[in-house]
Amino acid sequence: MSFDDRLLQLIAGLRAGGVRISVAESADGFRAVEEIGAVDREALRAALRTTLVKDPADLPTFDRLFPLYFGLEPPPLLPAMGGMGADEQQQLEEALRSLPPELADLLRRLLRGERLSAEEMAQLRARLQPDSSSEGMGAQGQQALRQRLDQLAQSWMDRLARLLQWLLSGQGPSSEELEQIGREVGLPRATRLEQQPWLTQRMLRAMGMERLAELLNELLAQLAAAGASPEALDQLEGSIQANAEALRDQVSRFVGASIVRQAVEQPPRQPSVADLMQLPLQSLTWEEAEALRDQVRRLAAQLRSRAALRHRRGKVGLLDPKATLRANQRYGGVPMDIRHRRRRLKPKLLLICDVSTSMRPVVSFLLHMIYELQDQVAHARSFAFIDDIEEITQDFAEHRPEVAIAEVLRRMPPGHYNTDLGFSLQHFCRDYLDAVDHRTIVIVVGDGRNNFNPSRVDAFETIRRRARRLLWFNPEAPALWGTGDSAMYDYLPLCDAVHEVSTLAQLAAAVERLFET
Amino acid sequence: MFASKDEVRRALAAQRYIASDEIATTLFLAERLHKPVLAEGPAGVGKTELGKAWAAATGRRLIRLQCYEGLDETKALYEWEYAKQLLYTQLLRDKLNTILAGASTLAEAADQLAREEDVFFSERFLLPRSLLQAIRSPEPVVLLIDEIDRADAEFEAFLLEVLSDFQISVPELGTLQARHLPLVVLTSNNTRELSEALKRRCLYLYLDYPTIEAELNIVRLKVPDLGPKVARQAVELVHRLRSLDLKKHPSISETLDWAHALVMLSADHIDAATLDTTLTVLLKHEHDVQRARRALAAPDGSPRSFDGPRRERRRWPGDDA
Repeated sequence: MSFDDRLLQLIAGLRAGGVRISVAESADGFRAVEEIGAVDREALRAALRTTLVKDPADLPTFDRLFPLYFGLEPPPLLPAMGGMGADEQQQLEEALRSLPPELADLLRRLLRGERLSAEEMAQLRARLQPDSSSEGMGAQGQQALRQRLDQLAQSWMDRLARLLQWLLSGQGPSSEELEQIGREVGLPRATRLEQQPWLTQRMLRAMGMERLAELLNELLAQLAAAGASPEALDQLEGSIQANAEALRDQVSRFVGASIVRQAVEQPPRQPSVADLMQLPLQSLTWEEAEALRDQVRRLAAQLRSRAALRHRRGKVGLLDPKATLRANQRYGGVPMDIRHRRRRLKPKLLLICDVSTSMRPVVSFLLHMIYELQDQVAHARSFAFIDDIEEITQDFAEHRPEVAIAEVLRRMPPGHYNTDLGFSLQHFCRDYLDAVDHRTIVIVVGDGRNNFNPSRVDAFETIRRRARRLLWFNPEAPALWGTGDSAMYDYLPLCDAVHEVSTLAQLAAAVERLFET
Repeated sequence: MFASKDEVRRALAAQRYIASDEIATTLFLAERLHKPVLAEGPAGVGKTELGKAWAAATGRRLIRLQCYEGLDETKALYEWEYAKQLLYTQLLRDKLNTILAGASTLAEAADQLAREEDVFFSERFLLPRSLLQAIRSPEPVVLLIDEIDRADAEFEAFLLEVLSDFQISVPELGTLQARHLPLVVLTSNNTRELSEALKRRCLYLYLDYPTIEAELNIVRLKVPDLGPKVARQAVELVHRLRSLDLKKHPSISETLDWAHALVMLSADHIDAATLDTTLTVLLKHEHDVQRARRALAAPDGSPRSFDGPRRERRRWPGDDA
């Protein structure tokens, strides 16, 4: 594979891994390589990293993928006998001669790196451990079982023989063999790089690596018994082990490359965030909800800069004579550019959330959104109610959003038909009315289903009179308002605005309009 | 122009800036590919310092543009010098009269005046701000656009023309090309997501808190008076503080401040009393100070989890490590 191909494949792999790389950026990557050269691997890595990856979150993906394409080549396997001096080989040969001729022949061939057939391998095994041969299993009924076991043993012997041959001859598996074994362990279905270590392990096991040590020990013991010098055996064992390590690296690399190739060919089906935002919050799976939480953070960040912008652009407020004079010096004092005293809008937020069962998905998202907006909205207080109201600001200030929400929901377990907004509002008016003043935007999040309890519109009216704006976020579709136990139409006339927030897109739109004056 | 990344590294080292392989490679490429460098990372890891060191290393003048909310083109690019224009019109009135004297009709006079219009909308009356200065500078410069994430999204869009083509369009004058391609460093604390378009035009450099050894090197370089044993002890302590869950983690510059403080106090080792009195050099929130005291007083010396679960911070990939 040429260098350019490898670079292209790396880029394709990164894209499949979710990294956004434009054509211009990949062109930059190529130019960077031209400048930096491909000799210094660390420099190459830094050059590609800086041109291709622009998001810290994508750096781990790059770090995982880069070695697959530009990693050091795994060390090649070497002939196991290659490292031995002539003396040692001679000595080993003599040791072999003292063994029974068939065994010696088999061992000799093996050490030369020849491939033995399964039968020969079984023979070798049997000779190495003469007492383990299965004798006296005469029972007729076990015939079939025994055949089956024999077959299994045969296939195992075959594998072991193959593995030994790879390790001793120094010629690793061919790519066909690797692919064959890969198919056995389900490699072609893998598309995620996290599976690499596990699949590597499985492939090595399928090659018989686990049984190798056992066989090798017997082999070495036999040779030692035959009088081979410990140094020669040590060296033999060492080079076999080095070869086994090299084989592991090769397999790992093969697995990684296969996974990335497959990931490129069939990128995993993931619903886009835009799609997710249109899904009803109640019907999201856990993963989808997780994906959206990140989105909430993003939206809040966008919102922050936009809200700041509105403050700046707003042409409201009193005339600022000093600033106007200063600004109009350039027009010879003719007031062409009128400056206003910037109105410092420091909104306060007050949230009243229904946390009964049906409401929970929406509430959690809204709390997330508000949590992220804390910088913008310095004064935010949150309350939750089911049958009675309770302040949750503290939980919210102290903990991470997930923890805080979980804690609140644990403390206020949903009951059975016990929602009572009317009583909660009344309680709020009695104890917490100081939380509402002319700067406060009050948001009620709830479906307005009040279990036919009194609506207490008077309490709601009290809040509305004190508040800057009174908004209602309802996760139910407007068609359902007022049906059954929904008291939505009692409260609706008092609200400045009512938003349907059954999807994150709607929630985002509703929150964005919070700071409109 | 540097011949290799190692040369960049040596030049930066001469300016007492210890550059990693990554930094050296990125700066080397930025010069070769004429691309701006976008350096992102937590506050106080030396992003701004990088710009300054680069300017010094290349022997260029540094032009710095500090971004803030509400920064607009009149403050970043150029502004017409209205007062000067007015003054000139006043003073040149006689000359204008003689030019217009020959005109018999109003249209003719207007035409003649229009021919002279260029005098008033020329570079003479252009008040160049940082960006235009960088573009029009007769000698090569390094342009440092600091904390771009504080500026509004519009301003970012604005920068695109400057950063990709190194030119600025002034409606009255046309397009002003750069005399020398400036080297540009943008820094961001990642308080908001920068636009894809901006990132695409830049080389991206992610700077994180250094490893203990790297930071120790920096301390040795910048505060040579501090004893080696205390230096190591101090840096290890700072790293332990960074592993705690604090509102604001101590930055490299704060480590250096602390090192200076230790030199002033001529401390030969860091004991509880020294730490107690100087901890406020490292930590700037009362809450953090208390929390750190409690954690450092823990007998096993390892940061325990206290006060319940960790507060969510903005996520950086290096954080978990």
